Amino acid sequence: MNRKLRLPVSAGGVAAALALWQLIATGPMAGGPLPTVADTFAELAGLLAGGAFWAALADTLVIALAGLAAAAAAGVVTGVLIGSFEPVRYATAAVLEFLKPIPPIVILPLVVLIFGPTTPMSWFLVFFGCVLPIIMQTVAGVHDADPVTLDTARSYGLGRVEILARVTLPSAMPFIGTAMRVAAPAALIITVVAGLLGGGPGLGRSIYQAQASGDYPVLYAYVVVLGVLGLAFQGASALAERRLLHWHASYREVLTP
Amino acid sequence: MTRTLATHHHPGMENSMELQENPVALGTAAARPRLEVTALSKTYGSGPNAKCVIEDLTFTVTTGEVVCIVGPSGVGKTTLLKCLAGLQPATSGTAAIDGRRIDGPPPEMALVFQDYSRSLMPWLTVRKNVRLPLRHLRLPAQEMNQRIDDALRAVGLDGSDGKYPWQLSGGMQQRVAIARALAYRPEILIMDEPFASVDAQTRFELEDLCLKIRDDFGMTILVVTHDIDEAVYLSDRVVVLGAKPARVLDVIGIDLPAPRDQISTRSLPEFAEQRTTVLSMIRKPA
Ligand SMILES: Nc1ncnc2c1ncn2[C@@H]1O[C@H](COP(=O)(O)OP(=O)(O)OP(=O)(O)O)[C@@H](O)[C@H]1O
Ligand SMILES: [Mg+2]
Repeated sequence: MNRKLRLPVSAGGVAAALALWQLIATGPMAGGPLPTVADTFAELAGLLAGGAFWAALADTLVIALAGLAAAAAAGVVTGVLIGSFEPVRYATAAVLEFLKPIPPIVILPLVVLIFGPTTPMSWFLVFFGCVLPIIMQTVAGVHDADPVTLDTARSYGLGRVEILARVTLPSAMPFIGTAMRVAAPAALIITVVAGLLGGGPGLGRSIYQAQASGDYPVLYAYVVVLGVLGLAFQGASALAERRLLHWHASYREVLTP
Repeated sequence: MTRTLATHHHPGMENSMELQENPVALGTAAARPRLEVTALSKTYGSGPNAKCVIEDLTFTVTTGEVVCIVGPSGVGKTTLLKCLAGLQPATSGTAAIDGRRIDGPPPEMALVFQDYSRSLMPWLTVRKNVRLPLRHLRLPAQEMNQRIDDALRAVGLDGSDGKYPWQLSGGMQQRVAIARALAYRPEILIMDEPFASVDAQTRFELEDLCLKIRDDFGMTILVVTHDIDEAVYLSDRVVVLGAKPARVLDVIGIDLPAPRDQISTRSLPEFAEQRTTVLSMIRKPA
Protein backbone atom coordinates (compact mmCIF):
# COMPACT_ATOMS: atom_id res chain seq x y z
CA MET A 1 0.00 0.00 0.00
CA ASN A 2 1.12 3.52 -0.80
CA ARG A 3 3.07 4.90 2.17
CA LYS A 4 1.42 8.33 1.96
CA LEU A 5 -2.04 6.80 2.22
CA ARG A 6 -1.31 4.66 5.27
CA LEU A 7 -1.68 7.36 7.91
CA PRO A 8 -4.94 8.92 6.65
CA VAL A 9 -6.46 5.44 6.22
CA SER A 10 -5.56 4.39 9.78
CA ALA A 11 -6.88 7.71 11.08
CA GLY A 12 -10.09 7.06 9.18
CA GLY A 13 -10.38 3.65 10.85
CA VAL A 14 -10.00 5.21 14.30
CA ALA A 15 -12.60 7.87 13.48
CA ALA A 16 -15.02 5.20 12.25
CA ALA A 17 -14.57 3.17 15.45
CA LEU A 18 -15.22 6.26 17.60
CA ALA A 19 -18.32 7.09 15.51
CA LEU A 20 -19.61 3.53 16.01
CA TRP A 21 -19.05 3.85 19.78
CA GLN A 22 -20.91 7.16 19.84
CA LEU A 23 -23.78 5.63 17.84
CA ILE A 24 -24.12 2.66 20.17
CA ALA A 25 -23.85 4.83 23.30
CA THR A 26 -26.50 7.28 22.10
CA GLY A 27 -28.71 4.75 20.28
CA PRO A 28 -29.40 1.21 21.53
CA MET A 29 -27.58 1.67 24.84
CA ALA A 30 -28.61 5.21 25.62
CA GLY A 31 -28.91 5.73 29.38
CA GLY A 32 -26.92 2.52 30.05
CA PRO A 33 -23.47 2.13 31.59
CA LEU A 34 -21.67 2.88 28.31
CA PRO A 35 -20.81 6.59 28.31
CA THR A 36 -20.67 8.64 25.12
CA VAL A 37 -17.39 9.46 23.43
CA ALA A 38 -17.73 13.10 24.44
CA ASP A 39 -18.33 12.27 28.15
CA THR A 40 -15.43 9.83 28.20
CA PHE A 41 -12.98 12.27 26.66
CA ALA A 42 -14.14 15.03 28.97
CA GLU A 43 -13.35 12.76 31.93
CA LEU A 44 -10.05 11.83 30.31
CA ALA A 45 -9.10 15.51 30.11
CA GLY A 46 -9.98 15.82 33.79
CA LEU A 47 -7.81 12.81 34.65
CA LEU A 48 -4.84 14.13 32.72
CA ALA A 49 -5.04 17.35 34.71
CA GLY A 50 -4.82 15.57 38.09
CA GLY A 51 -1.71 14.16 39.84
CA ALA A 52 -3.25 10.83 40.93
CA PHE A 53 -3.58 9.66 37.36
CA TRP A 54 0.07 10.30 36.59
CA ALA A 55 1.16 8.51 39.75
CA ALA A 56 -0.94 5.48 38.79
CA LEU A 57 0.44 5.58 35.24
CA ALA A 58 4.00 5.73 36.58
CA ASP A 59 3.32 2.75 38.88
CA THR A 60 1.94 0.73 36.00
CA LEU A 61 4.85 1.55 33.70
CA VAL A 62 7.49 0.82 36.32
CA ILE A 63 5.95 -2.52 37.27
CA ALA A 64 5.41 -3.64 33.68
CA LEU A 65 8.85 -2.58 32.47
CA ALA A 66 10.77 -3.85 35.50
CA GLY A 67 8.94 -7.19 35.36
CA LEU A 68 9.56 -7.45 31.64
CA ALA A 69 13.24 -6.56 31.94
CA ALA A 70 13.77 -9.09 34.72
CA ALA A 71 11.91 -11.75 32.73
CA ALA A 72 13.98 -10.98 29.63
CA ALA A 73 17.31 -11.17 31.45
CA ALA A 74 16.44 -14.29 33.41
CA GLY A 75 14.67 -15.90 30.44
CA VAL A 76 17.50 -15.42 27.95
CA VAL A 77 20.23 -16.57 30.32
CA THR A 78 18.22 -19.60 31.45
CA GLY A 79 17.19 -20.37 27.87
CA VAL A 80 20.76 -20.29 26.60
CA LEU A 81 21.90 -22.55 29.43
CA ILE A 82 19.04 -24.99 28.97
CA GLY A 83 19.46 -24.96 25.20
CA SER A 84 23.17 -25.61 25.23
CA PHE A 85 23.32 -28.44 27.73
CA GLU A 86 21.40 -31.51 26.64
CA PRO A 87 20.87 -33.02 30.14
CA VAL A 88 19.54 -29.71 31.50
CA ARG A 89 17.14 -29.56 28.58
CA TYR A 90 15.71 -32.97 29.31
CA ALA A 91 15.58 -32.28 33.04
CA THR A 92 13.58 -29.08 32.55
CA ALA A 93 11.45 -29.85 29.50
CA ALA A 94 8.55 -31.51 31.32
CA VAL A 95 8.41 -28.91 34.08
CA LEU A 96 8.46 -26.02 31.61
CA GLU A 97 5.82 -27.58 29.37
CA PHE A 98 3.66 -28.09 32.45
CA LEU A 99 4.03 -24.50 33.66
CA LYS A 100 3.70 -22.82 30.27
CA PRO A 101 -0.07 -23.03 29.76
CA ILE A 102 -0.84 -21.81 33.30
CA PRO A 103 -2.10 -18.22 32.99
CA PRO A 104 -0.73 -15.86 35.65
CA ILE A 105 -4.31 -15.18 36.82
CA VAL A 106 -4.42 -18.71 38.24
CA ILE A 107 -1.62 -18.06 40.70
CA LEU A 108 -2.84 -14.53 41.50
CA PRO A 109 -4.71 -15.47 44.72
CA LEU A 110 -1.64 -17.30 45.98
CA VAL A 111 0.67 -14.42 45.14
CA VAL A 112 -1.68 -11.90 46.79
CA LEU A 113 -1.70 -14.09 49.86
CA ILE A 114 2.07 -14.02 50.01
CA PHE A 115 2.84 -10.41 49.04
CA GLY A 116 -0.44 -8.61 49.73
CA PRO A 117 -1.77 -5.99 47.27
CA THR A 118 1.69 -4.52 46.68
CA THR A 119 4.16 -3.64 43.96
CA PRO A 120 6.19 -6.86 44.46
CA MET A 121 2.97 -8.85 44.00
CA SER A 122 2.25 -7.26 40.60
CA TRP A 123 5.88 -7.39 39.66
CA PHE A 124 6.11 -11.11 40.43
CA LEU A 125 3.02 -11.87 38.38
CA VAL A 126 4.47 -10.00 35.39
CA PHE A 127 7.74 -11.87 35.78
CA PHE A 128 5.97 -15.22 36.02
CA GLY A 129 3.77 -14.49 33.04
CA CYS A 130 6.60 -13.37 30.77
CA VAL A 131 9.60 -15.46 31.71
CA LEU A 132 8.43 -18.90 30.56
CA PRO A 133 7.68 -18.03 26.93
CA ILE A 134 11.00 -16.16 26.75
CA ILE A 135 12.87 -19.20 28.11
CA MET A 136 11.17 -21.57 25.71
CA GLN A 137 11.67 -19.35 22.68
CA THR A 138 15.34 -18.87 23.60
CA VAL A 139 15.79 -22.65 23.84
CA ALA A 140 14.17 -23.01 20.41
CA GLY A 141 16.43 -20.26 19.07
CA VAL A 142 19.56 -21.90 20.44
CA HIS A 143 18.57 -25.08 18.63
CA ASP A 144 17.98 -23.19 15.44
CA ALA A 145 21.62 -22.03 15.26
CA ASP A 146 23.08 -23.13 11.94
CA PRO A 147 25.49 -26.06 12.40
CA VAL A 148 27.74 -24.71 9.63
CA THR A 149 27.99 -21.35 11.41
CA LEU A 150 28.79 -23.11 14.67
CA ASP A 151 31.38 -25.33 12.97
CA THR A 152 32.96 -22.22 11.48
CA ALA A 153 33.32 -20.67 14.91
CA ARG A 154 34.70 -23.92 16.30
CA SER A 155 37.16 -24.38 13.48
CA TYR A 156 38.59 -20.91 14.13
CA GLY A 157 39.24 -21.89 17.72
CA LEU A 158 36.60 -19.74 19.41
CA GLY A 159 36.02 -20.84 23.01
CA ARG A 160 32.76 -22.18 24.38
CA VAL A 161 31.76 -18.93 26.04
CA GLU A 162 32.70 -16.86 23.02
CA ILE A 163 30.63 -19.14 20.77
CA LEU A 164 27.66 -18.83 23.15
CA ALA A 165 27.89 -15.04 23.19
CA ARG A 166 28.88 -14.34 19.60
CA VAL A 167 27.19 -17.09 17.62
CA THR A 168 24.52 -18.93 19.59
CA LEU A 169 22.93 -15.87 21.16
CA PRO A 170 22.71 -13.79 17.95
CA SER A 171 21.34 -16.89 16.16
CA ALA A 172 18.61 -17.12 18.79
CA MET A 173 17.79 -13.41 18.59
CA PRO A 174 14.94 -13.74 16.06
CA PHE A 175 13.20 -16.17 18.42
CA ILE A 176 13.88 -13.98 21.45
CA GLY A 177 12.60 -10.99 19.50
CA THR A 178 9.31 -12.74 18.78
CA ALA A 179 8.97 -13.70 22.44
CA MET A 180 9.62 -10.11 23.52
CA ARG A 181 7.12 -8.70 21.05
CA VAL A 182 4.47 -10.96 22.60
CA ALA A 183 5.69 -10.41 26.17
CA ALA A 184 5.71 -6.58 26.09
CA PRO A 185 1.93 -6.08 25.78
CA ALA A 186 1.39 -9.10 28.05
CA ALA A 187 3.44 -7.39 30.77
CA LEU A 188 1.13 -4.40 30.58
CA ILE A 189 -2.00 -6.52 30.65
CA ILE A 190 -0.78 -8.54 33.63
CA THR A 191 0.11 -5.35 35.54
CA VAL A 192 -3.42 -4.04 35.00
CA VAL A 193 -5.03 -7.35 35.92
CA ALA A 194 -2.90 -7.53 39.07
CA GLY A 195 -4.28 -4.11 40.02
CA LEU A 196 -7.83 -4.85 38.98
CA LEU A 197 -8.17 -8.24 40.67
CA GLY A 198 -5.34 -8.24 43.17
CA GLY A 199 -5.40 -4.60 44.27
CA GLY A 200 -1.83 -3.92 43.16
CA PRO A 201 -0.89 -0.28 42.52
CA GLY A 202 -1.38 1.40 39.15
CA LEU A 203 -4.08 1.92 36.54
CA GLY A 204 -5.71 -1.44 37.28
CA ARG A 205 -6.50 -0.36 40.80
CA SER A 206 -7.83 3.00 39.49
CA ILE A 207 -10.15 1.14 37.12
CA TYR A 208 -11.35 -1.05 39.96
CA GLN A 209 -12.09 2.00 42.09
CA ALA A 210 -13.96 3.75 39.24
CA GLN A 211 -16.03 0.60 38.70
CA ALA A 212 -16.76 0.19 42.42
CA SER A 213 -18.05 3.76 42.62
CA GLY A 214 -20.09 3.32 39.41
CA ASP A 215 -18.20 6.14 37.70
CA TYR A 216 -18.39 4.74 34.17
CA PRO A 217 -17.06 7.71 32.17
CA VAL A 218 -13.92 7.64 34.33
CA LEU A 219 -13.67 3.88 33.92
CA TYR A 220 -13.81 4.18 30.13
CA ALA A 221 -11.37 7.08 30.19
CA TYR A 222 -8.92 4.67 31.85
CA VAL A 223 -9.70 2.03 29.24
CA VAL A 224 -8.84 4.53 26.51
CA VAL A 225 -5.56 5.29 28.27
CA LEU A 226 -4.77 1.55 28.47
CA GLY A 227 -5.51 1.14 24.79
CA VAL A 228 -3.09 3.90 23.89
CA LEU A 229 -0.49 2.48 26.28
CA GLY A 230 -0.88 -0.96 24.71
CA LEU A 231 -0.27 0.53 21.28
CA ALA A 232 2.82 2.29 22.58
CA PHE A 233 4.22 -0.96 24.06
CA GLN A 234 3.53 -2.86 20.89
CA GLY A 235 5.09 -0.14 18.77
CA ALA A 236 8.15 0.20 20.97
CA SER A 237 8.83 -3.53 21.04
CA ALA A 238 8.32 -3.84 17.29
CA LEU A 239 10.71 -0.94 16.76
CA ALA A 240 13.31 -2.43 19.10
CA GLU A 241 12.99 -5.76 17.32
CA ARG A 242 13.44 -4.14 13.93
CA ARG A 243 16.54 -2.30 15.17
CA LEU A 244 18.11 -5.37 16.73
CA LEU A 245 17.23 -7.78 13.95
CA HIS A 246 17.78 -5.54 10.95
CA TRP A 247 20.08 -8.26 9.58
CA HIS A 248 17.44 -10.98 9.73
CA ALA A 249 15.67 -12.16 6.58
CA SER A 250 12.31 -10.80 7.73
CA TYR A 251 13.65 -7.26 8.21
CA ARG A 252 16.26 -6.88 5.50
CA GLU A 253 15.95 -3.65 3.59
CA VAL A 254 14.78 -4.67 0.17
CA LEU A 255 15.40 -1.94 -2.34
CA THR A 256 12.54 -1.95 -4.79
CA PRO A 257 13.53 -1.06 -8.33
CA MET B 1 41.37 -5.89 -8.59
CA THR B 2 44.66 -5.34 -6.88
CA ARG B 3 46.48 -8.11 -5.16
CA THR B 4 48.59 -7.14 -2.20
CA LEU B 5 49.18 -9.09 0.92
CA ALA B 6 51.77 -7.64 3.24
CA THR B 7 54.31 -10.10 4.51
CA HIS B 8 53.91 -9.94 8.27
CA HIS B 9 55.45 -12.84 10.03
CA HIS B 10 53.21 -15.30 11.72
CA PRO B 11 54.62 -16.68 14.94
CA GLY B 12 55.79 -20.18 14.30
CA MET B 13 56.30 -19.65 10.61
CA GLU B 14 60.00 -18.91 10.78
CA ASN B 15 61.03 -22.36 9.69
CA SER B 16 58.63 -22.41 6.81
CA MET B 17 60.02 -19.11 5.55
CA GLU B 18 63.32 -20.83 4.86
CA LEU B 19 61.59 -23.08 2.42
CA GLN B 20 60.88 -20.14 0.16
CA GLU B 21 64.53 -19.91 -0.72
CA ASN B 22 64.24 -23.23 -2.42
CA PRO B 23 60.77 -23.49 -3.86
CA VAL B 24 61.79 -26.46 -5.97
CA ALA B 25 62.18 -28.46 -2.77
CA LEU B 26 58.55 -27.89 -1.96
CA GLY B 27 56.39 -30.88 -2.42
CA THR B 28 59.16 -33.35 -2.88
CA ALA B 29 58.89 -36.60 -1.03
CA ALA B 30 62.06 -35.82 0.94
CA ALA B 31 60.36 -33.06 2.99
CA ARG B 32 58.65 -34.01 6.23
CA PRO B 33 54.85 -34.36 6.09
CA ARG B 34 52.98 -31.56 7.79
CA LEU B 35 49.63 -33.21 7.51
CA GLU B 36 49.35 -36.96 7.61
CA VAL B 37 46.21 -38.96 6.98
CA THR B 38 46.64 -42.61 7.89
CA ALA B 39 44.10 -45.36 7.21
CA LEU B 40 41.29 -42.91 7.93
CA SER B 41 37.71 -44.22 7.82
CA LYS B 42 34.47 -42.42 8.50
CA THR B 43 31.11 -44.07 9.00
CA TYR B 44 28.01 -41.96 9.63
CA GLY B 45 25.40 -43.43 11.93
CA SER B 46 25.44 -46.88 13.44
CA GLY B 47 23.58 -50.17 13.30
CA PRO B 48 21.59 -50.98 10.18
CA ASN B 49 21.62 -47.32 9.05
CA ALA B 50 25.40 -47.03 9.21
CA LYS B 51 26.88 -45.48 6.10
CA CYS B 52 30.57 -45.92 5.46
CA VAL B 53 31.65 -42.86 3.46
CA ILE B 54 35.42 -43.08 3.66
CA GLU B 55 37.47 -46.22 4.00
CA ASP B 56 41.17 -46.56 4.64
CA LEU B 57 42.31 -43.23 3.24
CA THR B 58 46.03 -42.47 3.36
CA PHE B 59 47.98 -39.49 2.02
CA THR B 60 50.29 -36.74 3.26
CA VAL B 61 50.79 -33.05 2.66
CA THR B 62 54.20 -31.48 3.07
CA THR B 63 54.93 -28.03 4.51
CA GLY B 64 54.52 -25.36 1.86
CA GLU B 65 52.85 -27.73 -0.53
CA VAL B 66 49.61 -27.11 -2.41
CA VAL B 67 47.62 -30.32 -2.76
CA CYS B 68 44.29 -30.56 -4.53
CA ILE B 69 41.73 -33.25 -3.86
CA VAL B 70 39.49 -34.18 -6.78
CA GLY B 71 36.72 -36.71 -6.92
CA PRO B 72 33.09 -37.09 -7.91
CA SER B 73 30.31 -35.35 -6.05
CA GLY B 74 29.23 -37.19 -2.92
CA VAL B 75 32.41 -39.22 -2.68
CA GLY B 76 33.23 -37.84 0.76
CA LYS B 77 35.55 -34.87 0.24
CA THR B 78 33.75 -32.58 2.67
CA THR B 79 33.54 -35.45 5.14
CA LEU B 80 37.31 -35.87 4.92
CA LEU B 81 37.97 -32.14 5.43
CA LYS B 82 35.72 -32.06 8.50
CA CYS B 83 37.77 -34.88 10.00
CA LEU B 84 41.00 -33.02 9.19
CA ALA B 85 39.65 -29.84 10.76
CA GLY B 86 38.84 -31.71 13.95
CA LEU B 87 35.13 -30.98 13.63
CA GLN B 88 34.16 -34.63 13.69
CA PRO B 89 36.09 -37.69 14.84
CA ALA B 90 37.26 -40.30 12.38
CA THR B 91 35.71 -43.72 12.89
CA SER B 92 39.13 -45.31 12.65
CA GLY B 93 42.59 -44.31 11.52
CA THR B 94 44.13 -40.92 12.22
CA ALA B 95 44.79 -37.49 10.88
CA ALA B 96 47.81 -35.75 12.37
CA ILE B 97 49.68 -32.46 12.16
CA ASP B 98 53.43 -32.80 12.71
CA GLY B 99 52.73 -36.20 14.21
CA ARG B 100 50.15 -34.83 16.69
CA ARG B 101 46.81 -36.53 16.31
CA ILE B 102 43.97 -34.13 15.45
CA ASP B 103 41.16 -34.50 17.97
CA GLY B 104 39.76 -30.97 17.93
CA PRO B 105 40.10 -27.87 15.75
CA PRO B 106 43.87 -27.29 15.41
CA PRO B 107 44.80 -23.65 16.13
CA GLU B 108 47.20 -23.47 13.20
CA MET B 109 44.52 -24.40 10.69
CA ALA B 110 41.72 -22.53 8.93
CA LEU B 111 38.91 -24.11 6.94
CA VAL B 112 36.97 -22.37 4.17
CA PHE B 113 33.62 -24.14 4.08
CA GLN B 114 31.94 -25.28 0.90
CA ASP B 115 28.71 -23.81 2.24
CA TYR B 116 30.16 -20.30 2.39
CA SER B 117 26.89 -18.44 2.81
CA ARG B 118 25.95 -20.39 5.93
CA SER B 119 29.48 -20.02 7.22
CA LEU B 120 29.21 -16.20 7.34
CA MET B 121 27.38 -14.62 10.26
CA PRO B 122 24.42 -12.66 8.83
CA TRP B 123 24.36 -10.31 11.84
CA LEU B 124 27.94 -9.14 11.27
CA THR B 125 29.23 -6.85 8.55
CA VAL B 126 31.85 -8.16 6.15
CA ARG B 127 34.58 -6.52 8.20
CA LYS B 128 33.32 -7.92 11.48
CA ASN B 129 32.98 -11.36 9.93
CA VAL B 130 36.64 -11.24 8.96
CA ARG B 131 37.50 -9.92 12.41
CA LEU B 132 35.60 -12.55 14.40
CA PRO B 133 38.29 -15.25 14.47
CA LEU B 134 41.02 -12.67 15.07
CA ARG B 135 39.56 -11.46 18.35
CA HIS B 136 40.93 -14.26 20.46
CA LEU B 137 44.40 -13.97 18.93
CA ARG B 138 44.76 -10.76 21.00
CA LEU B 139 46.59 -8.89 18.26
CA PRO B 140 47.35 -5.19 18.66
CA ALA B 141 44.45 -3.21 17.16
CA GLN B 142 46.60 -1.81 14.43
CA GLU B 143 47.84 -5.18 13.23
CA MET B 144 44.33 -6.58 13.37
CA ASN B 145 42.99 -3.79 11.17
CA GLN B 146 45.95 -4.09 8.85
CA ARG B 147 45.33 -7.81 8.40
CA ILE B 148 41.64 -7.26 7.70
CA ASP B 149 42.37 -4.50 5.19
CA ASP B 150 45.02 -6.60 3.46
CA ALA B 151 42.81 -9.67 3.26
CA LEU B 152 39.79 -7.79 1.93
CA ARG B 153 41.93 -5.98 -0.62
CA ALA B 154 43.53 -9.26 -1.68
CA VAL B 155 40.17 -10.72 -2.60
CA GLY B 156 38.99 -7.46 -4.17
CA LEU B 157 36.40 -6.56 -1.54
CA ASP B 158 37.98 -3.50 0.04
CA GLY B 159 34.92 -1.40 -0.77
CA SER B 160 32.41 -3.77 0.80
CA ASP B 161 33.58 -4.00 4.40
CA GLY B 162 30.54 -2.20 5.81
CA LYS B 163 28.03 -4.38 3.94
CA TYR B 164 26.28 -7.42 5.32
CA PRO B 165 26.95 -10.81 3.69
CA TRP B 166 23.36 -11.09 2.46
CA GLN B 167 23.79 -7.86 0.54
CA LEU B 168 26.53 -9.48 -1.54
CA SER B 169 26.46 -11.86 -4.47
CA GLY B 170 27.37 -15.52 -3.97
CA GLY B 171 30.82 -15.01 -5.43
CA MET B 172 31.44 -12.02 -3.18
CA GLN B 173 30.32 -13.99 -0.11
CA GLN B 174 32.70 -16.75 -1.08
CA ARG B 175 35.52 -14.21 -1.22
CA VAL B 176 34.60 -12.88 2.25
CA ALA B 177 34.99 -16.42 3.58
CA ILE B 178 38.39 -16.66 1.88
CA ALA B 179 39.43 -13.24 3.24
CA ARG B 180 38.49 -14.37 6.74
CA ALA B 181 40.80 -17.37 6.40
CA LEU B 182 43.61 -15.22 4.97
CA ALA B 183 43.41 -12.66 7.77
CA TYR B 184 43.68 -15.49 10.29
CA ARG B 185 47.09 -16.36 8.74
CA PRO B 186 46.82 -20.08 9.33
CA GLU B 187 49.85 -22.26 8.77
CA ILE B 188 47.58 -24.82 7.14
CA LEU B 189 44.76 -23.60 4.93
CA ILE B 190 42.03 -26.00 3.86
CA MET B 191 39.46 -24.90 1.32
CA ASP B 192 36.37 -26.79 0.14
CA GLU B 193 35.55 -25.80 -3.44
CA PRO B 194 36.52 -22.23 -2.63
CA PHE B 195 36.18 -20.73 -6.09
CA ALA B 196 33.00 -22.46 -7.21
CA SER B 197 30.82 -19.34 -7.36
CA VAL B 198 33.19 -16.76 -8.80
CA ASP B 199 33.58 -15.74 -12.44
CA ALA B 200 36.43 -17.13 -14.53
CA GLN B 201 38.57 -13.99 -14.31
CA THR B 202 38.24 -13.74 -10.51
CA ARG B 203 38.87 -17.44 -10.26
CA PHE B 204 42.23 -17.06 -12.00
CA GLU B 205 43.11 -14.19 -9.71
CA LEU B 206 42.16 -16.16 -6.59
CA GLU B 207 44.18 -19.15 -7.79
CA ASP B 208 47.20 -16.90 -8.14
CA LEU B 209 46.48 -15.39 -4.74
CA CYS B 210 46.50 -18.90 -3.33
CA LEU B 211 49.94 -19.58 -4.81
CA LYS B 212 51.19 -16.19 -3.62
CA ILE B 213 50.22 -16.74 0.01
CA ARG B 214 51.87 -20.11 -0.12
CA ASP B 215 55.08 -18.41 -1.29
CA ASP B 216 54.76 -15.41 1.07
CA PHE B 217 53.85 -17.28 4.22
CA GLY B 218 55.00 -20.81 3.50
CA MET B 219 51.42 -21.89 4.02
CA THR B 220 50.46 -25.49 3.50
CA ILE B 221 47.32 -25.56 1.38
CA LEU B 222 44.79 -28.29 0.72
CA VAL B 223 42.04 -27.53 -1.79
CA VAL B 224 39.03 -29.57 -2.84
CA THR B 225 38.01 -28.75 -6.40
CA HIS B 226 35.89 -30.14 -9.20
CA ASP B 227 37.90 -28.30 -11.80
CA ILE B 228 40.68 -30.52 -13.20
CA ASP B 229 42.49 -27.60 -14.83
CA GLU B 230 42.45 -25.75 -11.57
CA ALA B 231 43.79 -28.78 -9.73
CA VAL B 232 46.67 -29.16 -12.16
CA TYR B 233 47.44 -25.44 -12.20
CA LEU B 234 47.51 -25.05 -8.42
CA SER B 235 48.94 -28.32 -7.23
CA ASP B 236 52.23 -29.82 -6.39
CA ARG B 237 50.28 -33.05 -6.13
CA VAL B 238 46.71 -34.07 -6.92
CA VAL B 239 44.95 -36.64 -4.76
CA VAL B 240 42.25 -38.44 -6.75
CA LEU B 241 39.45 -39.90 -4.66
CA GLY B 242 36.99 -42.43 -6.00
CA ALA B 243 34.84 -45.46 -5.35
CA LYS B 244 32.30 -45.96 -2.60
CA PRO B 245 33.35 -45.87 0.14
CA ALA B 246 36.01 -43.35 -0.85
CA ARG B 247 39.59 -44.45 -1.37
CA VAL B 248 42.65 -42.75 -2.79
CA LEU B 249 42.71 -43.89 -6.42
CA ASP B 250 46.00 -42.17 -7.14
CA VAL B 251 48.29 -39.36 -6.07
CA ILE B 252 49.62 -37.57 -9.11
CA GLY B 253 52.71 -35.41 -8.81
CA ILE B 254 52.38 -32.26 -10.91
CA ASP B 255 55.68 -31.36 -12.39
CA LEU B 256 55.19 -27.90 -13.78
CA PRO B 257 57.76 -25.09 -13.52
CA ALA B 258 57.42 -22.36 -10.88
CA PRO B 259 56.32 -19.64 -10.81
CA ARG B 260 53.09 -20.62 -12.47
CA ASP B 261 51.36 -18.25 -14.81
CA GLN B 262 47.77 -18.43 -15.97
CA ILE B 263 48.62 -18.08 -19.63
CA SER B 264 52.02 -19.64 -20.13
CA THR B 265 51.63 -22.52 -17.66
CA ARG B 266 48.28 -23.52 -19.04
CA SER B 267 49.63 -23.57 -22.59
CA LEU B 268 52.52 -25.90 -21.80
CA PRO B 269 52.29 -29.34 -23.41
CA GLU B 270 53.05 -30.83 -19.95
CA PHE B 271 49.98 -29.10 -18.58
CA ALA B 272 47.78 -30.87 -21.12
CA GLU B 273 49.50 -34.18 -20.34
CA GLN B 274 49.01 -33.85 -16.58
CA ARG B 275 45.45 -32.81 -17.13
CA THR B 276 44.84 -35.91 -19.23
CA THR B 277 46.45 -38.11 -16.58
CA VAL B 278 44.16 -36.74 -13.85
CA LEU B 279 41.09 -36.87 -16.03
CA SER B 280 41.62 -40.47 -17.12
CA MET B 281 42.19 -41.42 -13.50
CA ILE B 282 38.84 -39.90 -12.55
CA ARG B 283 36.98 -41.44 -15.46
CA LYS B 284 38.47 -44.89 -15.07
CA PRO B 285 35.76 -47.27 -13.94
CA ALA B 286 36.45 -48.24 -10.34
N1 LIG C 1 26.21 -35.82 8.66
C1 LIG C 1 26.00 -36.81 7.77
N2 LIG C 1 25.26 -37.89 8.10
C2 LIG C 1 25.06 -38.90 7.24
N3 LIG C 1 25.56 -38.92 5.99
C3 LIG C 1 26.30 -37.89 5.59
C4 LIG C 1 26.56 -36.77 6.45
N4 LIG C 1 27.33 -35.88 5.78
C5 LIG C 1 27.53 -36.42 4.56
N5 LIG C 1 26.92 -37.62 4.43
C6 LIG C 1 26.97 -38.51 3.26
O1 LIG C 1 28.31 -38.76 2.97
C7 LIG C 1 28.52 -38.77 1.57
C8 LIG C 1 29.66 -37.85 1.23
O2 LIG C 1 29.26 -36.50 1.48
P1 LIG C 1 30.27 -35.31 1.32
O3 LIG C 1 29.52 -34.06 1.63
O4 LIG C 1 31.49 -35.57 2.08
O5 LIG C 1 30.57 -35.38 -0.25
P2 LIG C 1 31.47 -34.44 -1.16
O6 LIG C 1 32.51 -35.28 -1.78
O7 LIG C 1 31.93 -33.27 -0.39
O8 LIG C 1 30.43 -34.00 -2.27
P3 LIG C 1 30.33 -32.63 -3.10
O9 LIG C 1 31.41 -32.66 -4.11
O10 LIG C 1 28.99 -32.68 -3.73
O11 LIG C 1 30.48 -31.52 -2.13
C9 LIG C 1 27.20 -38.41 0.93
O12 LIG C 1 26.62 -39.60 0.45
C10 LIG C 1 26.39 -37.84 2.05
O13 LIG C 1 25.04 -38.17 1.87
MG1 LIG D 1 31.54 -31.28 -0.46
